[in-house]
Amino acid sequence: MFPRGALQGGTFPTLRILPICSRAYLSQSNVFYNQLTRGDLAASPENIAKDSHLQSRPLDVSHYAPVKPAKKKVSESKYESTTYELPKWKEALGELVIRTFNLDMDKVRAGSVAGSYYYNMCKEQALQYENKELSDTAKFFYEDLKLPRTFSQWFQVTILHEWMLFVRMRAMPFKYGRNYQQKLVDRTFSDIEMRLFEEMNVNSGRIADQYLKDFNSQLRGAIFAYDEGFYTDDATLATAVWRNLFGGRKNIDFVHLEAVVRYIRSQLYVLSMLSDREFALGNFKFVPANESVSVLTKEQEKELKKKVIEKYEAMDKNKDLLPSDRSKLSYTN
Amino acid sequence: MTCNDLNTEFKVTQCRLNIFEGRMSSQGVREAAKSLVKALERFPNERIKHLVSFKQSQMERFNRVAGLQIGQSKDASDSKVSLDDIKDIINRTSAPLGLQKNLLKKMQSAMVNEDLTEQSIKEQISALNTLTTDKYKQYYDVSDKLYKPQGNPQYYKRILDEIEGKKKETFMTALRTVILGK
Repeated sequence: MFPRGALQGGTFPTLRILPICSRAYLSQSNVFYNQLTRGDLAASPENIAKDSHLQSRPLDVSHYAPVKPAKKKVSESKYESTTYELPKWKEALGELVIRTFNLDMDKVRAGSVAGSYYYNMCKEQALQYENKELSDTAKFFYEDLKLPRTFSQWFQVTILHEWMLFVRMRAMPFKYGRNYQQKLVDRTFSDIEMRLFEEMNVNSGRIADQYLKDFNSQLRGAIFAYDEGFYTDDATLATAVWRNLFGGRKNIDFVHLEAVVRYIRSQLYVLSMLSDREFALGNFKFVPANESVSVLTKEQEKELKKKVIEKYEAMDKNKDLLPSDRSKLSYTN
Repeated sequence: MTCNDLNTEFKVTQCRLNIFEGRMSSQGVREAAKSLVKALERFPNERIKHLVSFKQSQMERFNRVAGLQIGQSKDASDSKVSLDDIKDIINRTSAPLGLQKNLLKKMQSAMVNEDLTEQSIKEQISALNTLTTDKYKQYYDVSDKLYKPQGNPQYYKRILDEIEGKKKETFMTALRTVILGK
């Protein structure tokens, strides 16, 4: 789903996935997903959550504790900026290295796709700062679901999204899927460590380590619980969401739980429709909570697959394909 | 204030509350809460024990609204006042309860005040039923592509076997997981 021009013009291989605005995604480009409406299944998770009439006030004591922005700008890599372009000579050098050493691009790409692009996507879902307006996705979590605006809540939302990606990564060939998962987790913790120091003003390395260990066990627990819920039934998934995302709060609104379960299941459905190749190249974006996903009919599914196969077949046959664009991952599944 | 003081206070306010509740929560809300409790009873139990059980905690929450007894386990410790009861009293009374007024105000502002109506409870019931009937799992069917993932087909099965105590893991399978990662 890259525009052809972007592929040919090429920036450095491992960084090409980054210009986020330039791509069309399944959720955006594919009319199928919003075409079908079927009864109440047409409601988006956001609408479900908004329709609830349960009012409890105050929700909890720690409800408002937004993260204070760092005094100096949080250090971000220039390679991740949307405007940055690699000098041509570096690009050429990169291609040359890949060609001469015959590097496995599926392996190399994991760092930039999972570690950078996918991580940023998960991170931005619930990022929030004091005195700054919430993003659209963050509004769903903090306003519609009434989650507390805290750092650890942001972490919970982030790992929920990471887990959804993990589910898809497990379906890739083991060697590559595992690598993608590793890159995503590595990046998560290095980012959190940076945020603890720069945004949460933790000055002691020992305390930061304690927090990191705590976040690590939260991650393991959450993934285990979500896996169980995903494989078994909606009720189990809902209790897993309740324990992790909602912190086991007693005055939970069941309608919110329903909305989140729907949100999760619909994202996983979209993920299951993607082939390994598309997913590994970073052609996925979470469907926003205010859009509803409808399942494809058999014909639509076939048509979608056909298009994908045509596209990648043509790409693989192309003799001028840059070495960095090569991939051995399947596009038929 | 000692615990005993609170105990007597509790009993006095219970009588007061009964009158109070009669006024506040109508019959409709109570009936709705009763059917919500019934729906909760149908909710599947958790497979492993967690720190707090969703079903248990929600049963307690809505039993109170429905005016039902909270089950046998509660009867044994009936004479004792739990923290929940105290919170509940403070939450719902405007009388000073022997506490300073500003303290009471502070506590009330920090505690959850649920405004349950018939409509909101009915929404809760339908949401709960949607979850118990597995509607979304069936609608958004991800097929074996994700349930038996190519890279690790036995992944979920092994987790579930372990949770259900099927004892299929041996030293060799454990060793294989450590070495190969799957």
